[in-house]
Amino acid sequence: MKIKYAIILVLVIIVIGAGIGLKMFFKPHADISKLKTEFKVEASGLIEEFEQDENAATAKYSEKILEISGKLASKNKLQNGTDLLILEDEMQGVSCQLDSSWSAANQETIEALETGSPITVKGICKGYLMEIKVSPAIVISK
Amino acid sequence: MLKKLFILIFITASIGAFGQSKFIAKNAYISFYSSTPLEDILGESNEAVTILNAETGEIGFQALMTTFHFKRALMEEHFNENYMESAKFPKARFNGKIEGFNKDMLTAPVANIKVTGLLNVHGVEKTITVPGTLGIENGKLVGTSKFKVTPEDYGIVIPAIVRDKIGKEMEVTVKANYLPFGK
Repeated sequence: MKIKYAIILVLVIIVIGAGIGLKMFFKPHADISKLKTEFKVEASGLIEEFEQDENAATAKYSEKILEISGKLASKNKLQNGTDLLILEDEMQGVSCQLDSSWSAANQETIEALETGSPITVKGICKGYLMEIKVSPAIVISK
Repeated sequence: MLKKLFILIFITASIGAFGQSKFIAKNAYISFYSSTPLEDILGESNEAVTILNAETGEIGFQALMTTFHFKRALMEEHFNENYMESAKFPKARFNGKIEGFNKDMLTAPVANIKVTGLLNVHGVEKTITVPGTLGIENGKLVGTSKFKVTPEDYGIVIPAIVRDKIGKEMEVTVKANYLPFGK
Protein backbone atom coordinates (compact mmCIF):
# COMPACT_ATOMS: atom_id res chain seq x y z
CA MET A 1 0.00 0.00 0.00
CA LYS A 2 2.75 2.41 0.99
CA ILE A 3 4.60 1.75 -2.28
CA LYS A 4 1.48 2.65 -4.25
CA TYR A 5 1.31 6.08 -2.57
CA ALA A 6 5.00 6.61 -3.12
CA ILE A 7 4.63 5.87 -6.84
CA ILE A 8 1.69 8.26 -7.13
CA LEU A 9 3.63 10.96 -5.30
CA VAL A 10 6.63 10.55 -7.62
CA LEU A 11 4.35 10.68 -10.66
CA VAL A 12 2.68 13.86 -9.41
CA ILE A 13 6.08 15.48 -8.86
CA ILE A 14 7.19 14.47 -12.35
CA VAL A 15 4.02 15.91 -13.92
CA ILE A 16 4.37 19.19 -11.99
CA GLY A 17 8.07 19.39 -12.89
CA ALA A 18 7.37 18.73 -16.57
CA GLY A 19 4.58 21.31 -16.46
CA ILE A 20 6.88 24.00 -15.05
CA GLY A 21 9.58 23.05 -17.57
CA LEU A 22 7.21 23.25 -20.50
CA LYS A 23 5.75 26.53 -19.27
CA MET A 24 9.23 28.02 -19.10
CA PHE A 25 10.12 26.61 -22.50
CA PHE A 26 7.00 28.01 -24.12
CA LYS A 27 7.07 31.30 -22.21
CA PRO A 28 5.73 33.92 -24.61
CA HIS A 29 7.54 37.11 -25.55
CA ALA A 30 6.77 40.11 -23.38
CA ASP A 31 3.62 42.06 -24.22
CA ILE A 32 4.87 45.65 -24.46
CA SER A 33 1.46 47.19 -23.78
CA LYS A 34 1.31 45.47 -20.37
CA LEU A 35 4.86 46.21 -19.23
CA LYS A 36 5.49 49.04 -16.81
CA THR A 37 7.28 52.05 -18.27
CA GLU A 38 10.65 52.64 -16.60
CA PHE A 39 11.68 55.91 -18.26
CA LYS A 40 9.69 58.67 -19.92
CA VAL A 41 11.95 60.67 -22.21
CA GLU A 42 12.08 63.12 -25.10
CA ALA A 43 13.70 61.63 -28.21
CA SER A 44 16.06 64.61 -28.59
CA GLY A 45 17.24 64.34 -24.98
CA LEU A 46 17.76 60.60 -25.30
CA ILE A 47 19.86 61.04 -28.46
CA GLU A 48 21.97 63.65 -26.66
CA GLU A 49 22.55 61.31 -23.73
CA PHE A 50 23.74 58.51 -26.02
CA GLU A 51 25.94 60.85 -28.04
CA GLN A 52 27.61 62.27 -24.95
CA ASP A 53 28.34 59.00 -23.16
CA GLU A 54 27.29 55.88 -25.00
CA ASN A 55 28.45 53.44 -22.31
CA ALA A 56 26.66 55.23 -19.49
CA ALA A 57 23.47 55.60 -21.52
CA THR A 58 23.61 51.95 -22.61
CA ALA A 59 23.98 50.83 -18.99
CA LYS A 60 21.08 53.06 -17.99
CA TYR A 61 18.60 52.28 -20.77
CA SER A 62 19.49 48.94 -22.41
CA GLU A 63 16.71 46.36 -22.06
CA LYS A 64 14.55 48.91 -20.22
CA ILE A 65 10.99 49.92 -21.10
CA LEU A 66 10.95 53.47 -22.44
CA GLU A 67 8.22 55.88 -23.44
CA ILE A 68 9.76 58.18 -26.02
CA SER A 69 8.15 61.33 -27.41
CA GLY A 70 9.37 63.09 -30.50
CA LYS A 71 8.78 64.09 -34.08
CA LEU A 72 8.12 61.28 -36.55
CA ALA A 73 10.93 61.58 -39.11
CA SER A 74 10.15 58.56 -41.27
CA LYS A 75 7.79 55.65 -41.62
CA ASN A 76 8.83 52.55 -43.54
CA LYS A 77 8.28 48.86 -43.93
CA LEU A 78 11.22 46.50 -43.85
CA GLN A 79 11.48 43.64 -46.35
CA ASN A 80 10.08 41.19 -43.82
CA GLY A 81 7.01 43.39 -43.31
CA THR A 82 8.03 44.96 -40.00
CA ASP A 83 6.91 48.56 -39.59
CA LEU A 84 9.79 50.88 -38.86
CA LEU A 85 9.27 54.32 -37.33
CA ILE A 86 12.16 56.73 -36.88
CA LEU A 87 11.92 59.70 -34.52
CA GLU A 88 13.69 63.05 -34.83
CA ASP A 89 16.38 62.27 -37.40
CA GLU A 90 16.21 59.74 -40.21
CA MET A 91 19.91 58.82 -40.05
CA GLN A 92 20.76 59.32 -36.38
CA GLY A 93 17.48 59.36 -34.52
CA VAL A 94 15.47 56.81 -32.59
CA SER A 95 14.67 53.77 -34.73
CA CYS A 96 11.65 51.79 -33.55
CA GLN A 97 10.64 48.42 -34.99
CA LEU A 98 6.99 47.89 -34.18
CA ASP A 99 5.79 44.73 -32.50
CA SER A 100 4.42 42.52 -35.29
CA SER A 101 1.22 41.44 -33.55
CA TRP A 102 0.50 45.00 -32.41
CA SER A 103 1.14 46.25 -35.95
CA ALA A 104 -1.18 43.67 -37.45
CA ALA A 105 -3.99 44.77 -35.15
CA ASN A 106 -3.35 48.49 -35.58
CA GLN A 107 -2.62 48.99 -39.28
CA GLU A 108 -5.11 51.90 -39.45
CA THR A 109 -3.31 53.75 -36.66
CA ILE A 110 0.03 53.23 -38.41
CA GLU A 111 -1.31 54.37 -41.76
CA ALA A 112 -2.70 57.54 -40.18
CA LEU A 113 0.71 58.54 -38.78
CA GLU A 114 2.16 61.56 -40.54
CA THR A 115 5.83 62.34 -40.75
CA GLY A 116 6.64 65.63 -39.05
CA SER A 117 3.98 65.15 -36.39
CA PRO A 118 4.62 64.49 -32.72
CA ILE A 119 4.30 60.90 -31.58
CA THR A 120 4.94 58.79 -28.48
CA VAL A 121 6.14 55.21 -28.65
CA LYS A 122 6.72 52.64 -25.94
CA GLY A 123 9.27 49.90 -26.37
CA ILE A 124 12.41 48.14 -25.22
CA CYS A 125 15.60 50.13 -25.72
CA LYS A 126 18.32 47.95 -27.28
CA GLY A 127 21.19 50.39 -27.29
CA TYR A 128 23.03 52.62 -29.74
CA LEU A 129 24.34 51.85 -33.19
CA MET A 130 24.52 55.11 -35.11
CA GLU A 131 20.96 55.58 -33.94
CA ILE A 132 19.05 54.44 -30.89
CA LYS A 133 17.44 51.07 -31.49
CA VAL A 134 14.08 50.34 -29.89
CA SER A 135 12.32 47.02 -30.45
CA PRO A 136 9.72 45.79 -30.21
CA ALA A 137 7.73 49.00 -29.86
CA ILE A 138 4.13 50.16 -29.99
CA VAL A 139 2.61 53.59 -30.66
CA ILE A 140 0.83 54.93 -27.61
CA SER A 141 -0.17 58.39 -28.77
CA LYS A 142 -0.14 60.54 -31.85
CA MET B 1 6.92 73.56 -63.61
CA LEU B 2 7.06 72.01 -60.18
CA LYS B 3 7.08 68.55 -61.70
CA LYS B 4 10.03 69.46 -63.93
CA LEU B 5 11.86 70.82 -60.93
CA PHE B 6 11.28 67.56 -59.10
CA ILE B 7 12.55 65.54 -62.04
CA LEU B 8 15.60 67.76 -62.23
CA ILE B 9 16.27 67.34 -58.51
CA PHE B 10 15.77 63.60 -58.85
CA ILE B 11 18.22 63.32 -61.75
CA THR B 12 20.80 65.45 -59.99
CA ALA B 13 20.38 63.36 -56.87
CA SER B 14 20.84 60.12 -58.83
CA ILE B 15 23.98 61.39 -60.54
CA GLY B 16 25.20 62.57 -57.18
CA ALA B 17 24.60 59.08 -55.84
CA PHE B 18 27.07 57.54 -58.26
CA GLY B 19 29.68 59.98 -57.09
CA GLN B 20 29.23 59.00 -53.45
CA SER B 21 32.09 57.23 -51.86
CA LYS B 22 30.14 55.29 -49.26
CA PHE B 23 27.18 53.00 -49.09
CA ILE B 24 25.23 52.30 -45.96
CA ALA B 25 22.55 49.91 -44.76
CA LYS B 26 20.98 50.70 -41.41
CA ASN B 27 18.65 47.72 -41.25
CA ALA B 28 20.83 44.92 -42.50
CA TYR B 29 19.74 41.36 -41.76
CA ILE B 30 21.91 38.98 -39.78
CA SER B 31 20.82 35.56 -38.59
CA PHE B 32 22.39 32.50 -37.18
CA TYR B 33 20.95 29.10 -37.37
CA SER B 34 21.54 25.74 -35.83
CA SER B 35 19.51 22.62 -36.32
CA THR B 36 18.93 20.50 -33.23
CA PRO B 37 17.01 17.27 -32.71
CA LEU B 38 14.60 19.07 -30.41
CA GLU B 39 14.06 22.25 -32.34
CA ASP B 40 15.76 24.52 -34.87
CA ILE B 41 17.39 27.53 -33.31
CA LEU B 42 17.17 30.70 -35.34
CA GLY B 43 18.14 34.16 -34.12
CA GLU B 44 17.48 37.11 -36.40
CA SER B 45 18.27 40.82 -36.30
CA ASN B 46 17.12 43.45 -38.76
CA GLU B 47 19.09 46.15 -37.05
CA ALA B 48 22.68 45.67 -38.06
CA VAL B 49 24.48 48.67 -39.51
CA THR B 50 26.96 48.27 -42.33
CA ILE B 51 29.08 50.70 -44.30
CA LEU B 52 30.79 49.88 -47.58
CA ASN B 53 33.59 52.14 -48.74
CA ALA B 54 33.20 52.47 -52.51
CA GLU B 55 36.79 53.64 -52.99
CA THR B 56 38.61 50.90 -51.12
CA GLY B 57 36.17 47.98 -50.88
CA GLU B 58 36.32 48.02 -47.10
CA ILE B 59 33.24 46.73 -45.34
CA GLY B 60 32.24 47.30 -41.75
CA PHE B 61 29.40 45.61 -39.87
CA GLN B 62 28.08 46.20 -36.39
CA ALA B 63 25.20 44.55 -34.60
CA LEU B 64 23.75 44.92 -31.13
CA MET B 65 23.46 41.48 -29.59
CA THR B 66 20.22 42.38 -27.82
CA THR B 67 18.48 42.98 -31.18
CA PHE B 68 18.58 39.29 -32.06
CA HIS B 69 15.11 37.89 -31.90
CA PHE B 70 14.17 34.26 -31.32
CA LYS B 71 10.97 32.33 -31.61
CA ARG B 72 11.01 31.54 -27.91
CA ALA B 73 11.52 34.10 -25.16
CA LEU B 74 13.62 31.57 -23.22
CA MET B 75 16.08 31.20 -26.09
CA GLU B 76 16.48 34.97 -26.26
CA GLU B 77 17.14 35.07 -22.53
CA HIS B 78 19.73 32.29 -22.68
CA PHE B 79 21.38 33.84 -25.72
CA ASN B 80 21.85 37.23 -24.05
CA GLU B 81 22.51 36.17 -20.50
CA ASN B 82 24.34 32.84 -20.72
CA TYR B 83 26.03 32.68 -24.10
CA MET B 84 26.76 36.13 -25.51
CA GLU B 85 26.82 38.01 -22.18
CA SER B 86 25.27 40.95 -23.99
CA ALA B 87 25.53 43.30 -21.03
CA LYS B 88 29.32 42.87 -21.05
CA PHE B 89 29.77 42.60 -24.84
CA PRO B 90 26.86 44.55 -26.34
CA LYS B 91 28.13 44.60 -29.93
CA ALA B 92 29.50 42.24 -32.54
CA ARG B 93 31.76 43.80 -35.18
CA PHE B 94 33.27 42.85 -38.48
CA ASN B 95 35.80 44.96 -40.35
CA GLY B 96 37.09 43.57 -43.59
CA LYS B 97 37.97 44.13 -47.18
CA ILE B 98 36.66 42.67 -50.42
CA GLU B 99 39.41 40.66 -52.11
CA GLY B 100 40.38 42.00 -55.54
CA PHE B 101 37.98 44.93 -55.20
CA ASN B 102 37.29 47.26 -58.09
CA LYS B 103 34.57 49.88 -58.39
CA ASP B 104 32.80 48.06 -61.22
CA MET B 105 31.65 45.49 -58.65
CA LEU B 106 29.27 48.15 -57.28
CA THR B 107 27.43 48.63 -60.57
CA ALA B 108 27.62 45.12 -62.03
CA PRO B 109 25.04 42.34 -61.57
CA VAL B 110 25.37 40.18 -58.46
CA ALA B 111 28.63 38.23 -58.44
CA ASN B 112 30.58 36.13 -55.97
CA ILE B 113 33.10 37.85 -53.72
CA LYS B 114 35.40 36.96 -50.87
CA VAL B 115 35.82 39.13 -47.82
CA THR B 116 38.64 38.87 -45.31
CA GLY B 117 38.63 40.69 -42.04
CA LEU B 118 38.37 40.71 -38.28
CA LEU B 119 35.26 39.35 -36.62
CA ASN B 120 34.77 40.44 -33.04
CA VAL B 121 32.15 38.49 -31.11
CA HIS B 122 31.85 38.12 -27.34
CA GLY B 123 34.99 40.22 -26.94
CA VAL B 124 37.13 37.77 -28.95
CA GLU B 125 38.64 38.85 -32.25
CA LYS B 126 39.51 36.47 -35.09
CA THR B 127 40.51 36.83 -38.71
CA ILE B 128 38.05 35.15 -41.04
CA THR B 129 37.59 34.86 -44.79
CA VAL B 130 34.00 34.42 -45.89
CA PRO B 131 32.31 33.95 -49.25
CA GLY B 132 29.58 36.33 -50.31
CA THR B 133 27.87 38.08 -53.18
CA LEU B 134 27.73 41.72 -54.16
CA GLY B 135 26.06 43.57 -57.00
CA ILE B 136 22.94 45.21 -58.32
CA GLU B 137 19.66 43.43 -57.70
CA ASN B 138 16.42 45.19 -58.71
CA GLY B 139 18.29 48.46 -59.10
CA LYS B 140 19.84 48.36 -55.65
CA LEU B 141 23.26 47.41 -54.38
CA VAL B 142 22.86 44.20 -52.39
CA GLY B 143 25.48 42.34 -50.39
CA THR B 144 25.03 38.86 -48.91
CA SER B 145 27.13 36.28 -47.13
CA LYS B 146 26.70 32.87 -45.61
CA PHE B 147 29.36 31.26 -43.46
CA LYS B 148 29.90 29.07 -40.43
CA VAL B 149 31.28 30.02 -37.05
CA THR B 150 32.18 27.87 -34.08
CA PRO B 151 30.96 29.47 -30.84
CA GLU B 152 33.85 27.89 -28.88
CA ASP B 153 36.35 29.88 -30.97
CA TYR B 154 34.89 33.04 -29.48
CA GLY B 155 34.97 31.86 -25.90
CA ILE B 156 31.26 31.18 -25.86
CA VAL B 157 30.71 28.40 -23.38
CA ILE B 158 27.83 26.12 -24.11
CA PRO B 159 26.93 23.90 -21.15
CA ALA B 160 27.73 20.22 -21.68
CA ILE B 161 24.10 19.24 -21.22
CA VAL B 162 22.98 21.15 -24.33
CA ARG B 163 26.23 21.20 -26.28
CA ASP B 164 25.41 18.16 -28.39
CA LYS B 165 22.00 19.56 -29.17
CA ILE B 166 23.15 22.99 -30.27
CA GLY B 167 25.76 21.70 -32.69
CA LYS B 168 29.37 22.73 -32.95
CA GLU B 169 28.87 25.18 -35.78
CA MET B 170 26.34 27.89 -36.42
CA GLU B 171 25.41 29.09 -39.85
CA VAL B 172 25.47 32.86 -40.16
CA THR B 173 23.50 34.60 -42.91
CA VAL B 174 23.95 38.26 -43.77
CA LYS B 175 21.97 40.42 -46.17
CA ALA B 176 22.28 44.15 -46.71
CA ASN B 177 20.49 46.48 -49.12
CA TYR B 178 22.89 49.37 -49.48
CA LEU B 179 22.02 52.98 -50.13
CA PRO B 180 24.43 55.74 -51.16
CA PHE B 181 25.50 57.77 -48.16
CA GLY B 182 26.82 61.28 -48.54
CA LYS B 183 29.56 62.82 -46.46
